[in-house]
Amino acid sequence: MTELKIDSLHFSYTSDARVLKGIDLRLNDKTTAIVGQNGAGKTTFVKLLKGLLQPDEGVITLNGQDTKDSTAANLAKYVGMVFQNPNDQIFKNKVVNEVMFGPLNLGRNERDSRDKALAALKKVGLEHRSGNNPYDLSLSERKMISIASVLAMDTDVVIFDEPTMGQDFAGKETIKDIISELRNHGKLVLCILHDMDFAAEVFERAIVFNQGKVLLDGPSREVFANKMVLEQAFLEQPQVMQVAQAFGLEGSYLTEDELIERLKG
Amino acid sequence: MSIVDVEGLKYKYPDTDKLVLDDISFKVEKGEFIGLIGRNTAGKSSLCFALSGLIPHFFKGAYGGKVLIDGAEIKQHDMGEIAANIGLVFENPFSQMTGSKYSVYEEIAFGLENIGIEREKMISRIDESLELLDITAIKDNNPFDLSGGQMQRVAIASVIAMRPDVLILDEPTSQLDPQGSAEVFKVVENLTNEGITIIMAEHKMEKVSQYADKVLLLDNGKIIDYDTPANVFSRDDLLEFGIAAPVVTRVAKALGIKDAQSGEYPVTLAEISRENW
Amino acid sequence: MGSMTLYVEKNSIIHNIDPLTKLLYVFVSIAATYIVPAHEFVLLVAAFSLLLLVLGKVFVKILPIIAISIILIISIIIVQGMFHPDNETILFSVGVITFYQEGLSYAALLTLRVINMLSAFGVLILTTKPDELIERLIKKGMSPKIGYVFLSVLQIIPQMRATMAKITDAQRSRGMETEGNLLVRLKAFFPLIGPVVLNSLNDTRERAIALEMRGFNTKGKKTFLNESQEYPYRKVMQLLLAAGLIAAIMWRILL
Repeated sequence: MTELKIDSLHFSYTSDARVLKGIDLRLNDKTTAIVGQNGAGKTTFVKLLKGLLQPDEGVITLNGQDTKDSTAANLAKYVGMVFQNPNDQIFKNKVVNEVMFGPLNLGRNERDSRDKALAALKKVGLEHRSGNNPYDLSLSERKMISIASVLAMDTDVVIFDEPTMGQDFAGKETIKDIISELRNHGKLVLCILHDMDFAAEVFERAIVFNQGKVLLDGPSREVFANKMVLEQAFLEQPQVMQVAQAFGLEGSYLTEDELIERLKG
Repeated sequence: MSIVDVEGLKYKYPDTDKLVLDDISFKVEKGEFIGLIGRNTAGKSSLCFALSGLIPHFFKGAYGGKVLIDGAEIKQHDMGEIAANIGLVFENPFSQMTGSKYSVYEEIAFGLENIGIEREKMISRIDESLELLDITAIKDNNPFDLSGGQMQRVAIASVIAMRPDVLILDEPTSQLDPQGSAEVFKVVENLTNEGITIIMAEHKMEKVSQYADKVLLLDNGKIIDYDTPANVFSRDDLLEFGIAAPVVTRVAKALGIKDAQSGEYPVTLAEISRENW
Repeated sequence: MGSMTLYVEKNSIIHNIDPLTKLLYVFVSIAATYIVPAHEFVLLVAAFSLLLLVLGKVFVKILPIIAISIILIISIIIVQGMFHPDNETILFSVGVITFYQEGLSYAALLTLRVINMLSAFGVLILTTKPDELIERLIKKGMSPKIGYVFLSVLQIIPQMRATMAKITDAQRSRGMETEGNLLVRLKAFFPLIGPVVLNSLNDTRERAIALEMRGFNTKGKKTFLNESQEYPYRKVMQLLLAAGLIAAIMWRILL
């Protein structure tokens, strides 16, 4: 089982602005959503997990190994990250070559990389576009390509940064399926989200970041019911919770099916 | 006379075969707020471009039908003449900052300078826009030193100052965090209270049902429905068109809860609170 | 994140001079030092430019720039001192290396011209806000589009640095190595340049749309938010500069 241990993590970009002020976390099997306002430290946190930044203080251990001992490129074997803007990444002129870039860098041979790439493209529903130029595709399709690029690397940990941004209903369903599949294969999934509805529905665990600290960490059921703490972090509750409250219900509801069951009974 | 009058609009981007806008006809009355919804390839952005004149003047291609804004046909006027009458705000706040101005105040002046508004009027319009968009406090800041939500409000202010007949917003909160999103929706509400005609493409259905007078549902370049939020979201076939109704409506549908008077499903939370439950 | 401007915010006599007058000064002073190749004259002009920097309270800023051009200056001195075609009179020798008077004299002239050029540009760039200069030029008839391009580049290029950093992070996280020897770094070039270029093109296209909607292509007279500033003695200064240039040309023709 993959385990990421974070102990007393501190980080600042400049000497006067401390971004992370002591984070202690154990991440293992549950799919985990990271929520919080812009500026709370979420992106900085995942960059540290990826080895793109080095901690000022504190240790990050992946399966017992200190991440400080590897370069970011080396860590990429174990930790994959899908960035927010696909335009920050795509540079090949064929979709399949773009998706193969990751596995090739990790040392897989051409044949193996191509197989992994096509399998990943199938998962995001774009295998029929493998020969196209990525820039001929829409922004939301390019986002799917960047997800496929990381899936093809088959890492133990997969981090998503705002995967649902700009996605329509069908796109979100596809991403939901991908996350389920990753979980079923024993991968550790972390996701930075502003979409509270998606977070509540899909993720087992939620961590609320606020001003560089962890404000709340626990099962989604508990976290999303905690209106007071969420407000402190300038977050709204998921729609399902709000609807439940409008019906005068107490308790925690994460999906509309749950709520409907409860109201029927 | 309707402020927006679209008749048989058809459009195809250059070097493509498919019509992205396929025989679209609808009218918008002054002061209305129209929510534009549909899946990602439905044609929402293309419609926004067609309403703002970018289609056909910026994006060439095969164009048919008519778009009239306040009686003037878009095709017959060039962008220079149209720009002052129609405002367009889109997803990425950063690319809407001109880059040639060093303060928010001057940034807003940019459009007014271009259309030749005389100086005193310019100042009063800028001050008004700053108020409406709640950005008076940052008027001297450099536009690039702002948060996403602030930048987007500056983009809206810059366009509003030109006093357009119609304001078009193409997914303005897509790239913003929840706070930024909330800021933008709040100012859009202010604007609609001022009587400005607004057309907004959005994925956040809860917001659409909260603000829109009417909802325009597009799919495959065609209009599927153009009606009140309650009517559109009460449809049973929404999933076929790639969208889902607001959560509250989906729950109400499953339980068969309808409003006693209108016979429709609720589309906002406020409607539920009114119900005796 | 600042823009790429060297403007130094201060309140001085030089800061309050019309940007166009300063632009004219740059042109006239550089031209004059070429038209009149007399050491005393060029020294005077260079000294005057430096004086303007002092008055503008920005003298300190020019020193690093002159220091950097020391390499250029030294190479001028060496090349001219040793190899100028008119070299005859030996000034001194260091072992096998001989320096001649004619060459060194010419080198001195060139050095003074370089110092003057840097100082004159310094007077313009360090004491003038770029947007004020451009606005003055536009009011005089320069195309607003050219003015826009110039100003936007100053602000947008530094923003690209942030994008560059994001792109590097994205590629590193897919296993691309950026730390290491030259070959490694060269290989890293292509996965970085593609997104940078495409990103800017995309951005430019979106910005073009935004500009279009802000009336960039509207015909007719443009107005200005900033009132035309009155610069006292502007005409006098410009006349003096023009007169100075003409005098220099006359001197050259008649002598």
